[in-house]
Amino acid sequence: MKLTAHALLAALATTALLAGGSAQALTAADYQSVLIAAAKAAEPGFAGFSAERGAAFYRSTHGGDWSCASCHTEQPTQPGSHAVTHKQVKPLAPAANPERFTRADKIEKWFKRNCNDVLKRACTPREQGDFIAYLLSVK
Amino acid sequence: MNKTHKILALLALAAGATAATPTLAGGHAYGPFPASYIEECASCHVAYPPQLLTAPGWAQVMLQLDQHYGVDAGLDAKRRTAIADFLQRNASRRDKHAATAQPPRLAQTPWFRKEHGPLPQQAGKTLPAAAQCESCHRAAEHGDYTESGLRLPAGYRHMEH
Ligand code: HEC
Ligand code: HEC
Ligand code: HEC
Repeated sequence: MKLTAHALLAALATTALLAGGSAQALTAADYQSVLIAAAKAAEPGFAGFSAERGAAFYRSTHGGDWSCASCHTEQPTQPGSHAVTHKQVKPLAPAANPERFTRADKIEKWFKRNCNDVLKRACTPREQGDFIAYLLSVK
Repeated sequence: MNKTHKILALLALAAGATAATPTLAGGHAYGPFPASYIEECASCHVAYPPQLLTAPGWAQVMLQLDQHYGVDAGLDAKRRTAIADFLQRNASRRDKHAATAQPPRLAQTPWFRKEHGPLPQQAGKTLPAAAQCESCHRAAEHGDYTESGLRLPAGYRHMEH
């Protein structure tokens, strides 16, 4: 699955490059379409992403110390603060920060890190898609 | 202390110091740092000056990025190697910048201790954690630790040594 998502992303990035002349052409919606394919491959009964599930995921500590909100704040249109270092983290919601979800390598890097820190495992394509659906829903 | 620094800087100049690193006369302006270093090592904290930790310390930091002071800061091999090289090239060669703790911290070296006195490792009510350089050095983001950028938090009394 991971490979599928990766291959799709590579293809998408290339298309974006050809179309826009810059890797910045990726949008959160583009990334979602890649995740849909990966989620379908992973879960036969997959019926689309849910902003509601994403909101719950965002606030859950998943049995550990941190939730996504610990660093990205309860309100993802606001700047957050790193739970250990207190360094400011720019808003995660694309409505407040248009740079979010515009670079596939950056998105993958941070999903890997932050899912490890919060859930002690990788996030599934559905969890990632729900999470982004929620972030796209907040204005 | 400042006099000493100036004298040292002059001596270094007089000795034709090899100028291998951006640490030039005047001492404590370490930046600006390359964009790749800012991109990969300044998301969670300020970009720490490579010149304030020895090469073995940096090597160790770069070998354990997946388990980095309680968080995952993992990087792909290509970027990791490029940054590790940058840190090695600019690392301190002086014993006083060798970490005295595990994992290595530039806020725990003989030099840091002498310059700062005992600073807490975790932020408290009145004091920031030692590693939060920018809470006292307001231009730390740019690698600038010169005195003009120093703003001490209320409750901090600098120990003279
Ligand atoms: C310990 C602090 C911390 C926690 C907890 C945390 N993050 Fe982050 N996250 C960060 C930092 C720091 C960045 C990068 C800073 C920046 O780009 O401004 C980041 C960036 C991201 C990005 C990159 C988005 C982009 O395109 O720029 C994603 C995706 C992300 N986080 C997902 C998550 C998810 C999912 C969770 C919860 C499972 C989570 N984060 C929890 C600190 C955290
Ligand atoms: C995902 C977040 C994150 C990223 C990315 C990150 N760090 Fe850190 N780093 C931390 C945290 C958290 C600490 C612990 C801070 C504390 O104890 O107050 C830390 C501490 C450190 C320390 C010890 C500071 C001290 O003196 O106490 C060094 C050195 C360091 N990081 C270097 C790096 C380098 C080099 C990179 C880039 C390769 C990097 N960090 C990237 C989160 C991160
Ligand atoms: C609680 C406040 C505080 C924190 C946190 C702090 N410093 Fe300092 N720093 C000082 C003070 C005070 C001095 C002494 C200035 C003097 O005596 O000239 C100093 C001096 C220095 C100097 C020498 C500057 C000069 O002109 O002599 C450097 C370099 C420096 N600090 C780096 C750091 C780094 C790197 C960090 C984070 C790892 C850090 N500091 C964290 C308060 C702080």
